[in-house]
Amino acid sequence: MTLRALIAEDEPILAATLAQALQRLWPGLSIVATCPNGVDAIEKALALKPDMLFLDIKMPGRTGLEVAEELAESWQGAPFPQIVFVTAYGDYALDAFDHAAADYVTKPVNDARLAKTVERLQQRLQKKDDASDLTRMLEQMRALMPAPVASERLTLIRALVGNLVRMIPIADVVYFEATDKYVNVVTMEGEALIRTSLKELLPQLDDKLFWQIHRGTIVNATSVISAVRDEAGKLSLNLRGRQEQLRVSPLYAHLFKQM
Amino acid sequence: MMPTDTSCPPSSPSFPWKRFGADFLYVTMFNIGVALAITFLLSNGHFWRNLVAAMCIGTTAFLIIDGARLFLGRGSNKHNWPRMIVIIAVAVPLAQVLGGTLAEVLIGVRVVSVTNMFSLASSGTLMFTLLATVVATIMFTSRERLMLSEAKAARESARAEGIARQALQAQLQLLQAQIEPHMLFNTLANLQGLIALDPARAQQMLDQLIVYLRATLSSSRAEVTTLGQEFALMDAYLGLMAVRMGARLSFQLDLPQELRSAQIPPMLLQPLIENAITHGLEPKIEGGRIVVSAAARDGQLHVSVSDDGLGLDAPSAKSGTHLGLANTRDRLLAIHGEQASLALTANSSGGALAELILPLVKP
Repeated sequence: MTLRALIAEDEPILAATLAQALQRLWPGLSIVATCPNGVDAIEKALALKPDMLFLDIKMPGRTGLEVAEELAESWQGAPFPQIVFVTAYGDYALDAFDHAAADYVTKPVNDARLAKTVERLQQRLQKKDDASDLTRMLEQMRALMPAPVASERLTLIRALVGNLVRMIPIADVVYFEATDKYVNVVTMEGEALIRTSLKELLPQLDDKLFWQIHRGTIVNATSVISAVRDEAGKLSLNLRGRQEQLRVSPLYAHLFKQM
Repeated sequence: MMPTDTSCPPSSPSFPWKRFGADFLYVTMFNIGVALAITFLLSNGHFWRNLVAAMCIGTTAFLIIDGARLFLGRGSNKHNWPRMIVIIAVAVPLAQVLGGTLAEVLIGVRVVSVTNMFSLASSGTLMFTLLATVVATIMFTSRERLMLSEAKAARESARAEGIARQALQAQLQLLQAQIEPHMLFNTLANLQGLIALDPARAQQMLDQLIVYLRATLSSSRAEVTTLGQEFALMDAYLGLMAVRMGARLSFQLDLPQELRSAQIPPMLLQPLIENAITHGLEPKIEGGRIVVSAAARDGQLHVSVSDDGLGLDAPSAKSGTHLGLANTRDRLLAIHGEQASLALTANSSGGALAELILPLVKP
């Protein structure tokens, strides 16, 4: 059975160069897709279920890390792919990759370095230990997630509701949910929008109280009643004073392990 | 020669012990000189007795004068001569009496008669003390003035050095900002790929890189450049970016012939197109187009950089562009004052529009 790879890289010459180098070093490998952005990479990866992904870190749409994260949330059926990050000078601190024990190659791609990566991938794909592959991948990604730089703590949310500004004490917030351009602030009484992003919001919150549980969700830990796992193994939260359940990304599932 | 105390500027609030000590030493030497003069030039009495008397009177005068000077006019660089004369006029008789009394206690011989101080008999000693004090005071004050002016010169040269260092640092920062390692490595990665894929295009890209590097290096050294040169630099930069981004980037540069020689500070436009690429077009999936144009209106030069990228609401635009814009505005203000401006607004296509207005200067 031929192994299949997907390349996600926004610079066309670099994508072609990586494809060529891979063909040279791994003649049996089939490159099933070359994606120019992160959104396309997620779509193609879910549709084609390749055995390995080469993900550029800095891409339009989604970064390589975000692609890996979203795939971990939605992947079903086939074994989770091996992921190799491709990074340019200055895109990302390289020691972060080393620290996370993640596979990565730097641009310009060096044949000797790529050969080592290929060798490691071949060994791992022979073993085919799907469960541990995904666990390892999740651990790597948790280590690679940029830690928020602590800034001044927010105590009061000033949110626009219609034409009035509502003052919401931070402890009243059940969860924050990212929408297209806004963040939806959900309390027991209702919802309000603030014009910011979760990324900007996160460093201003007390990390003991507010936990990120998904790319698009930060929950007030004291509002969580229980965490339940469905048949497919996906984790969801039941909340105080809210009917809806919140989905937990596999990336953050470790937060809800029993003591 | 005593080392000059430049580490203790006159404005320092602590007592100048070092200077005081040095002066004390000089006073002692001066007193010995006075005693020698009285003994051997004027042939008056024993040397040891004269020395004790000179030490007592001289040191007392020094303490009074220096104390008064420190107390009344510390740190002032200018000498207030009328006040100095008053101080000396008071200090000399006082020193004569106090020092004389002290000497009398020490050696048991009357040196100065208090009741009879201004009599003809005593006036010789008094005149001598006065003369010696004036000489010593002039000596000390001029020495102090020399020290002060030396300290001032040292401070000034340190300041000049600081300014030179700042200028160098600014130039270095400018240079770093221009040839960003990230940009250089990515360009080299593309070049490396193209050598295998399409050698002819690789050659072309290398030419553009050379133009870009040469233009950035030369303009970072110049104080002023021409609009024609800046457009050539932007053309090379956008050409490199267009190879990298492929079909995702297109661009257009409009420079009227008559404005080619217009003068402009170097690297003023470069950050604007870098912003448009980094925050507007690179993060946009479809990419887009950059249009740079220049025009003369009412004696002013208008240069605009317009893109149809993600626009000013994009999260990356919020975090990244402010510093670059602030730097450019600072430079404009420093060079042209209120006559120049830079505005960043949303344009009709949803992207960003940067408009630079500066005085039109032609050689």
